[in-house]
Amino acid sequence: MNNKVYDVAIIGSGPSGIAAALELSKYNINILLIDNNERVGGQIYRASPPEFKSDESVEEMQIQKDLEEKIKKSNIVYKPNHTVWQISENFRIDGFTESEAFVWRANKIIVATGTTERIVPFSGWTNPGVIGLAATTIILKSQQTMPGKKIIIAGCGPLLLVVAYYTLKLGGKIEAIIDTNSKWTWLKNFIFLFSNIPLFIKGFKWILKILLCRIPIYSNCTVTSAENNNDLLNVEIKNLNNIENSKSIKLQCDTLCVGHGLIPSTDFSRLMNAHHKFDKYLGGWIPEVNKYFETSVPNFYQIGDASGVLGAMPAYEKGKIAAISIIHKMNLLSDYELDQQYKILSKKLKRLKIFGEAISKISFPNDLLYKQILPETIVCRCEDITRKDIENSANNGAHDLNQLKTWTRCGMGPCQGRTCHYATSLVLAKCTNKKIEDLGYWTGRAPVRPIPFYVAAGDFTYEEITKIESTPI
Amino acid sequence: MNKTFDTIIVGAGIMGSTVALFLARAGKKVLLIDKSQIFRSASGSNAGTLTIHMTRASLVPYALKGWEMWMNLSEWLSRDIEVKHQPGLCLAFTEEEEKLLVERSKIRNDNGANIKILNSAEAQKIEPSLSKKIRCAAFSEIDGYAYANQTGLAYKKALQKENITILENSEVIKIKKNAKFSVTISNKNINQDYYADQIVLACGVWLGEILKMMNVKINLKCLAQQLIVTERMNNFLNSVITIANGKLSLKQFSNGNVLIGGGWPGVGETKDKFTSTIPENLIGNIRLACYTTPELKNTRISRIWLGLEAETDDAMPIIGKIPDNEGAYIIGSVHSGYTSGPYMGKLLSEYILGKNVNLDSFNISRLIQKQ
Repeated sequence: MNNKVYDVAIIGSGPSGIAAALELSKYNINILLIDNNERVGGQIYRASPPEFKSDESVEEMQIQKDLEEKIKKSNIVYKPNHTVWQISENFRIDGFTESEAFVWRANKIIVATGTTERIVPFSGWTNPGVIGLAATTIILKSQQTMPGKKIIIAGCGPLLLVVAYYTLKLGGKIEAIIDTNSKWTWLKNFIFLFSNIPLFIKGFKWILKILLCRIPIYSNCTVTSAENNNDLLNVEIKNLNNIENSKSIKLQCDTLCVGHGLIPSTDFSRLMNAHHKFDKYLGGWIPEVNKYFETSVPNFYQIGDASGVLGAMPAYEKGKIAAISIIHKMNLLSDYELDQQYKILSKKLKRLKIFGEAISKISFPNDLLYKQILPETIVCRCEDITRKDIENSANNGAHDLNQLKTWTRCGMGPCQGRTCHYATSLVLAKCTNKKIEDLGYWTGRAPVRPIPFYVAAGDFTYEEITKIESTPI
Repeated sequence: MNKTFDTIIVGAGIMGSTVALFLARAGKKVLLIDKSQIFRSASGSNAGTLTIHMTRASLVPYALKGWEMWMNLSEWLSRDIEVKHQPGLCLAFTEEEEKLLVERSKIRNDNGANIKILNSAEAQKIEPSLSKKIRCAAFSEIDGYAYANQTGLAYKKALQKENITILENSEVIKIKKNAKFSVTISNKNINQDYYADQIVLACGVWLGEILKMMNVKINLKCLAQQLIVTERMNNFLNSVITIANGKLSLKQFSNGNVLIGGGWPGVGETKDKFTSTIPENLIGNIRLACYTTPELKNTRISRIWLGLEAETDDAMPIIGKIPDNEGAYIIGSVHSGYTSGPYMGKLLSEYILGKNVNLDSFNISRLIQKQ
């Protein structure tokens, strides 16, 4: 077993993780940077596999290349294709690849694991042909492939635009965009978007392309059903204010890309039993952090969108802020230097936040979407738990998320509740007349990602199995 | 709400809830309190194994009675839990383990079990998915499992039907005895007093702390025990698998999950909600499971958690009266307590109701430390 103890281990090599790593590397600190993807960049700067020809004209690809180059040139120990599945006492980090298990130790941990996608369930959301909006961006960016030939894009937030733009750019055909927000909601937040002119221009370019292509846009609408019909999907669309009404618009596509914003990935902070708070506009449950993004667990930091969804640029600054705190703790930065650097970084972060917060407001799903979850609709797809199952348990006295989980297995499957946490909270809140934040959050459990038995067990003989005291007779 | 009851029960797990149920059915007015929620600790997070192979020999008669109650659950509790009667196979891979298995099976048989030793081929015939490397297996027709997660739901329904008052998220902070017991409970920082002639302590690993409130001191260990569950797999396992030294339990539920237990220690204390695995032990448990049932190599681990179990100095239960505290009773630290729990709880309820029940060997006096 490797006994080396790293000064800092960073989980996730998106903008935030990289920013922290590069800042720390200036001070000759032993840094371990782990990511379960093949290349650095996270979701926003997701690059194609090395053997693919990448599109150099895309700005994101240039940034990715630049960051990758910087990591290569640094003293950072970088472990791509490694998935962390557990953090335990004394910051022991357990990871695995396709064939092997790994153990690392660190004095400080920075979690920069970004977000997961939120989907509010509807009838047929688990059918083939329905995929997440964020998942679609992976296919579009990394594989430069379209998910289908006849696409409907639905949900809320900026990903609607991203997916539409890239699909059109690749020559794809979009049947319709179904937006749960009204045009008014977009306009209301419009002014704040001027706070970041380059991003604003980019967004404007996207919108222009969509408008020029005359894609039908259904505002204030939601997909209430998607049923397979041979190779196609029959999609039903309703106005948000009339979800219970039988009147609907019927469309057809072969792929439905749907998503309702992003949720901070708190798997590790929950596993470590850090304190969390609920902030709707930052994406939901986030760890409580101090101004340097250190959680209630000493020396355990959470940065980037994993500490509240604000986008790539604020994430980068958060990474730097956590880094200077660690550098200071290691006596490589004086109190004065820390203060000075913090002032500059936090000012920048504050400015960048304005844009991020405006985007967040159009990314959180409208409460009315609750109505699209019918009694028979599957909420937890790992364990096939329906809205009715949740309501039955609530009626029998499951009034918090963890009791509900115990009684129904909702959220206990391989995805560890990442997919259904929000939807389950929404349903339970409605039937117990409580607020989502009063229902608590699911206890974090290992493995944070499912680990194959053959990898966890490794090669061993019977004699090599840990010996343990017999139970008394 | 009227705050006077016949009996206040502290701890809504398998022990406390069973006592509550049978006292209520005998006409008592019962208040059941839990600092968290019903069955959220050991009783709801254990492996649900209803086995004789892992039971302490002297507790076999109680486990057999408990097993019967589990199998007839619909008669006295509900139909809401998945309970299955399956054969139990306890395995030996080495000569040493074979010796241990034969010896332990004999002791258990002397205490009322009916265990036969099978050779490798005979065991494979009963459970074809077993590793070919086994030397022999102890076979018990009496074995099986209950789905521990769902037990709380079933009990809650039954308790409510008997008009038992259940206070969840309510922590006992003070117990006093005048004419009646007065129990101070804190819920969201609001304190309230409740009164009763009798009190039953049934709060698992937290027994030691509550006993201190009654000036009784015992040494109680808190064991954090690890459980591992797989993704849903095709049905391939139709018996409950254990091994000679007791450090493995393995079964498959009808929804396809395979649950692996065996009481491998992890990290966890009564004062802190935080639990964590000890990675070496986790790997040990995983290896043992894979070795026993090679089919598992093709699946993934979906979830690992830890449950807290109480253990006294002699690893034997405490059930009965609390000395110098007229009207106070205790139940807990029962090895394989989930299996025998319903019967142990029923016994204590009968004892409290004045029936002729002998609980001498579980008397807490043997463990009390002199002040």
